[in-house]
Amino acid sequence: MLLYWGVVAVPLMAHASSAASSAEYEKDIRPILEKHCFACHGPDKQKNDIRFDTMSTDMINDRPEAETWHDTLDVLNFDEMPPEDEPRLSDDERRKLIGWLNYKIEAVVKATKSTGGRPVMRRLNRSEYQNTMADLLGIESRYANNLPPEGLSEDGFKNNGASLQMSAMQMEYYLEAARTAMSKSIVSGKQPEVFRHVIEESNGTAGNKSQRERDYSNTLSRTSFFLGKIEKDYHEHGEFLVRIRAKADLKKGQGYPRMEVALGYRVDTLMPERIVDEVEVTSERIQTYEFRGRIEDYPLPSRVQSKFPGLLIRVSNVYDDGSPMPKQETVVLEPAVGKKKAKTKKIWPKESHLPSIEVESVEFAGPVFDSWPPKYHSDILFPSKKRRTDERGYAAQVLKRFMHRAFRRPVELAEVEPYLALFERVRGTVATFDEAIREPLAMVLISPDFLYLVEAGGEEKRPINDWEIASRLSYFLWGTMPDESLFIAAEKGRLQKKGEIKRIVATMLNDERSWNFVDQFVDQWLDVGAVNRVAINPEFYPDWKDELKPSIHEETKHFFAEVLNERMSALNFLDSDFVMVNRPLARHYGLDESPRGMKFERVSLPETSDRGGLLTQASVLLGHSTGEDSHPVLRAVWLRERLLDDPPANPPPDVPGLDSENPDFAKLPVREQLKIHRGQASCNDCHRSIDPWGIAMDGFGADGLVRTEITRRDPKKRGKMFAQPVVTETTLPGGVDINGMDDLKAYLLAEKREQFARALVSKLMTYALGRSMELTDEAMIDELTADFISYDFQLHRLVQEVASSSAFLTK
Amino acid sequence: MNKPWYLDRRTFLRGTGVTLSLPFLECMSANASVAPRPKRFCAVYFPYGVSMSSKDENAKWRWFPEGEGKDYQFNESLKPLDPLRESLTVVGGLSHPNGRTIGGHDTADIWLTGGMLKGAQLTNTVSLDQIAAAHLGHETRFRSITLSNTGGVGEVTRSSTLSYARDGQPIPAINQPRLVYNRLFGLEKGSKEEQRSEFSNSRSMLDLVLDHSKSVRGKLGKRDQEKFDEYLASVRQIEERVERSEQWLKIPKPSVNATGLHLDADDSTPEELMKTMYDLMFLAFQTDSTRFATYQLDNMNGATSIAGKFPQLLGFGKSSHSLAHGGNKANGAAALGKWDQFRAKQLSYFLQRLRDTEEGEGNLLDHTIVMYGSSNSNTHNNKNYPTILAGGDKMGFKHGQYLRYDEDTPFANVHRTILNRLEVPVDAFADSTGELEEIMA
Repeated sequence: MLLYWGVVAVPLMAHASSAASSAEYEKDIRPILEKHCFACHGPDKQKNDIRFDTMSTDMINDRPEAETWHDTLDVLNFDEMPPEDEPRLSDDERRKLIGWLNYKIEAVVKATKSTGGRPVMRRLNRSEYQNTMADLLGIESRYANNLPPEGLSEDGFKNNGASLQMSAMQMEYYLEAARTAMSKSIVSGKQPEVFRHVIEESNGTAGNKSQRERDYSNTLSRTSFFLGKIEKDYHEHGEFLVRIRAKADLKKGQGYPRMEVALGYRVDTLMPERIVDEVEVTSERIQTYEFRGRIEDYPLPSRVQSKFPGLLIRVSNVYDDGSPMPKQETVVLEPAVGKKKAKTKKIWPKESHLPSIEVESVEFAGPVFDSWPPKYHSDILFPSKKRRTDERGYAAQVLKRFMHRAFRRPVELAEVEPYLALFERVRGTVATFDEAIREPLAMVLISPDFLYLVEAGGEEKRPINDWEIASRLSYFLWGTMPDESLFIAAEKGRLQKKGEIKRIVATMLNDERSWNFVDQFVDQWLDVGAVNRVAINPEFYPDWKDELKPSIHEETKHFFAEVLNERMSALNFLDSDFVMVNRPLARHYGLDESPRGMKFERVSLPETSDRGGLLTQASVLLGHSTGEDSHPVLRAVWLRERLLDDPPANPPPDVPGLDSENPDFAKLPVREQLKIHRGQASCNDCHRSIDPWGIAMDGFGADGLVRTEITRRDPKKRGKMFAQPVVTETTLPGGVDINGMDDLKAYLLAEKREQFARALVSKLMTYALGRSMELTDEAMIDELTADFISYDFQLHRLVQEVASSSAFLTK
Repeated sequence: MNKPWYLDRRTFLRGTGVTLSLPFLECMSANASVAPRPKRFCAVYFPYGVSMSSKDENAKWRWFPEGEGKDYQFNESLKPLDPLRESLTVVGGLSHPNGRTIGGHDTADIWLTGGMLKGAQLTNTVSLDQIAAAHLGHETRFRSITLSNTGGVGEVTRSSTLSYARDGQPIPAINQPRLVYNRLFGLEKGSKEEQRSEFSNSRSMLDLVLDHSKSVRGKLGKRDQEKFDEYLASVRQIEERVERSEQWLKIPKPSVNATGLHLDADDSTPEELMKTMYDLMFLAFQTDSTRFATYQLDNMNGATSIAGKFPQLLGFGKSSHSLAHGGNKANGAAALGKWDQFRAKQLSYFLQRLRDTEEGEGNLLDHTIVMYGSSNSNTHNNKNYPTILAGGDKMGFKHGQYLRYDEDTPFANVHRTILNRLEVPVDAFADSTGELEEIMA
């Protein structure tokens, strides 16, 4: 039953047999109904046509009855029944009845949503589309910018076939993206003229006040950056090259400075906003660093607007050792004379303990090509004599080759026909072959075989073929289309053997593209993106720096990658003796041993450390906070949902908020506040199995740091701040008394490791298959879990097992 | 006043044998006043409800006004709307009966539809703006526009869009001002001829894709076929749009001055983002690019909403959800009330822009109905929707009142009233029982 902690460990199996369920009904539920409801809704009277004594409890098969039961749940939640003049349900009766109804209704919902244990044809999501387009065309560009954000499935995933939708607007943007992509891929005419600009001294000025407060300089530090301005002609389409000659000024005990290049012009901040890339500058001698991108991906200033600001290139040093920012100093330029005020200027003090970068020159050139026509063009329009002798035949070959890669499978000549028909139609209206072939190529990119993972299916489940396996593996582990070697493996029929799949999985995980898996799976499983939805209130955290957020977001991903790549036990997610941090994050966490730079490194934790595992990572702690304080309920729900796969039921309608206008309420420890909430029977039912998990984590603030006091505002004293001691003693469901994070982690490791293992298996399967887990998957999950546990919870092995499981290889 | 969107009538019609109804542009013709005025509708939604503390000391932060009927006073939350008092009506007490029994965070989806989202089949019904767009949308370049701060469709019961098509499918909302701008006013690529041939290519391409897709469909399992039909429907719909664009090819997009529009605003600059979205809706109406717009300020999904943190970023202390939850706590009423007030300020800005823009003998607001509100009164409470109806003075509305209803009146009566004022012939909308007589002149 969802509401009861104790029963939760293997709830679905226990309830799967209807016999157990109906025995429970006879024993626990029917007597309550008999006592409170039968008088009006029983053998003698059937008020509102409702009769409970004969009503079916088989809600999956008797849907009208299920609806009546659902209404019953509502009136209980609303406290509308039993009527006021009748005896109330005791808390225990109420809890039992609501718990049973919630469980039964949940089962009906699951049964109805069932896709029969098979994935639903799934569209490439935004991230997969972006990666696939870039790999297919060999051009790094932003393809998915205009596509609407993806919705989440109920279990929090973005690659669930059933919840990924299509709409006219989406199609419109696919078509536009396809055409734009083809106009980039297929070039025509002579190589365009290259514009070249060399800037030797920072010469730009930014409009935004906060940006202006940084100094402009050729020396890059935390308080100064290089801003180059280009007013003369520059290209507006095609690849650009930024070539920077620069050297580092290194400092003892510090890491390498990190050079970041941003380009474009943003109208509201009046600054380049979009980052091209960043690189570590390691040499104290002048070196040349190159950055590339497509200029149309960057917001460009408009030449027709009232004052043309020029194209801006910002080069900055993003190295930060995490120490507090210095304060600006006022220097007097001209002293006050008589009534004339002194002329002053605010400057940043030199931070000579930090590494800096010295820029000698910044060159901007474009459009640049490695050759003409560029390789990505010739990869599609390959050289052939046929091109001159048999244009149609050549077009057919070009299309067939392109479709093979785009559809991720061999293509029959007959399938090329419609595309060829379009080619012929367009060919009559334009001057060159190159122009005419763009349209049918674009058509390939809006066809279902490209946009979806199409797998034929009949009534019966079937094993998928090599090409389908190649795609499933590739989207699972790389988030993109298969590469040449996977295609070859498919062609040679090597993907049918489980051993071979495991070997290939290991190779794929070694490839840098597997970062897409880490990035996407961690984001969706653990919702680390939550940090971007919470803003820290600086009044409560005066030392906080928002610049930390990207590092916090990344930490969890690097941690997952470390456990995966180093073939470690997944129990490290519950607690670990190391963290993955970069320098600012290490400073934030107060770790003595610290990485030198912005790169994430493994740092061992001392015995006495408060950190280790996922629960103490700032992504979890900040993401599930209010920005002023912890949010014990959100943290608890996160833990149950993400780590234990045991989400609490949604709040019923009209659930009262914390209805206390008592100004002393703010003075109570959070544990006491929650207790008041639980004092109301309707709240207590759920919250007694939620709150304790969060209370145990309350020793960590919204900033992810250990705290002994909580800062609050006193509502009686115009919001004056005061400190409240932290209380983390609590009793977990099942009666275990714990105090604080260490106890919580120890408890999870000792008592919940198998449930955690099962949850991770289930989440990984959900992601790998692109569908929600169902009752019929339970046996498979149990089997994988048993294997996972018996091999010391090794994550790397689990990924291999999932990818070679029969569910993964079945449509 | 500077009118950057001024169009020379000759430019406008050059080389065209205009056969379709022209977009209605005040700046274009002095005789236009004889033509029937376009009727517009705009819906703006926010989640989690408003400040409505029962404590006397918090009375001034109650969202709902004091008094009733003509004789009422705004409290602090809605004070920014004072200059528009005679152009709007505050409505209290209404809710969708279907919404009263579903989850406390599940009602945003049905605010404009009145649909039922309960049980296993969570399928919504058509939204008010889409009914109007289906009937009247052919007169403008775009049938409707759908905006939200989070964008996309979100998740069922926590959607990030207000608009639903006839089959109850959510319509993705755009959340990037630049995209909205480019759709409405952006320059077309290439010459007329190039565009024309691109349209004609598009039509063949879409035909061919549809043809080819039929063979794909046959190979699929049943569930996949249902999914595939979404794809086919989308292709058919863009075929329609291509045809429409082709017809509109003869008429250039209105040119508007982008100065002052924060087209790159995003979730790091919430105030500029929301102001720009309001500006874009205003420009869309003013240039008659569309007559139907929806804009969801935030949704009730903590897991995807990027707008939840907006009040924090703007100095109101907490996330929108936390502010709403704190509405009953000491000081919470004021904190939430101030956020309510901020939103009312932005609405007021939008309404004033509409009112200050002449159209015929009146102004744009006279022919624009704006519906503003939430599907929670306070957090989790699915009754007594805070609602403001503004504009439409020349469409038969009578404003300057605070109307209170009881639960016998379904919220859908508002929708039905609006559809009838738009002259969209409907007998009923969702579970409506009639019109709101009190608001009609």
